[in-house]
Amino acid sequence: MKQHLGRQSGVQKVDVNLLDGKVDVTPKEDGHIDPIQLLKATYDSGVSTAELDVTARGKIMKDSSGSIAFQVEPNQSFTLEANELSKQLEPLAGTATTLTVRGQLYKKPAGKKKPELPRELKLLLLEVQKKE
Amino acid sequence: MKKAALILVLLGSIIVVPVAKAQIKHIEMRVEGMT
Repeated sequence: MKQHLGRQSGVQKVDVNLLDGKVDVTPKEDGHIDPIQLLKATYDSGVSTAELDVTARGKIMKDSSGSIAFQVEPNQSFTLEANELSKQLEPLAGTATTLTVRGQLYKKPAGKKKPELPRELKLLLLEVQKKE
Repeated sequence: MKKAALILVLLGSIIVVPVAKAQIKHIEMRVEGMT
């Protein structure tokens, strides 16, 4: 699995902890990393992902459908799952405020051994680490 | 004088201000079925 993940675009380093099933992925400084591709690579290696959390720096914006999203790159954004934090950050949509946040992009549905992978990932905000 | 000004302009142009880029900084996954 480490090799599968390490081959993905934008991945600099992969650390796997066999004991607790934790996988740390360090993106390249200037690289574009796609969490869906990581999920696919993990799936292809015969392992299922229970959770995928991300720490990212970006801005709050409104997407084409009017939903609140977190934009990490000009061509990469994640629609926010509505929660208390997303409501608090809604007024920042379209402003120059840059945030560093931690959130959950994927959680395996309960009761399914090997569920189908989602086509789109929504970001459930867990923590705002920095506001600039 | 002109030369000194030119050197200053050149130096100024090569100073790179580190800009914290907006991007994914870290990904943590919990996986099941790993041997």
